[in-house]
Amino acid sequence: MKNGLRTRREAADLSQGELAEAVGVTRQTINAIERERYDPSLELAFKLAAHFDCRVEDLFDPELDADLTA
Amino acid sequence: MTQVQRSPTPRLSRQRRYRRLLFGSIGAGVLASLALRFLDYPVLGEAVYWLGIVAALVVWRGTDVALFDERDRSLERRASQLTMTVAAVVLVLGASAARLGATLGLFEVSPFLSGALYGYVGLFGLFALCYLWVRART
Repeated sequence: MKNGLRTRREAADLSQGELAEAVGVTRQTINAIERERYDPSLELAFKLAAHFDCRVEDLFDPELDADLTA
Repeated sequence: MTQVQRSPTPRLSRQRRYRRLLFGSIGAGVLASLALRFLDYPVLGEAVYWLGIVAALVVWRGTDVALFDERDRSLERRASQLTMTVAAVVLVLGASAARLGATLGLFEVSPFLSGALYGYVGLFGLFALCYLWVRART
């Protein structure tokens, strides 16, 4: 899933390890999400959004069909 | 962009250490057990094997640090699905070939091969039981 995690993490001057520590996962999980190789659970998505004080949809773009988002 | 190398955070470094301990205990136990069996100390080898297993269980259950996260579980789930798919293909093709070969008198199915195929059947039986148990609890 497309996401802006790397951009927000770097803007916050956080390493992958520090972000992983903050949200309770491994550094590899953060790396996999940033590389769009792993879609996080709802719980982790909400944790990440809360950490960056934004909405989940500001962080993740599921690229839904237009008729689904209408 | 240059990544700044920082020291690992406390939870992550503990997690890494405990995971190494967990897998290391099992690996060391198995290797030491094989070595002792090779040196003709089978009982001692079995004891060391169990020592490794118990040490791994102690590490796994004894720490407050989560050793595996959701991506680890997702990887395990996908690997398990792949394993079952491969096992299903092997069972379907292997069992059919064994039956046909025996019926047509082309070859005799060895007890080893027969046991392996029944082992696969048992694996799928166990899978069905686990599936029903998980479904009942979900």
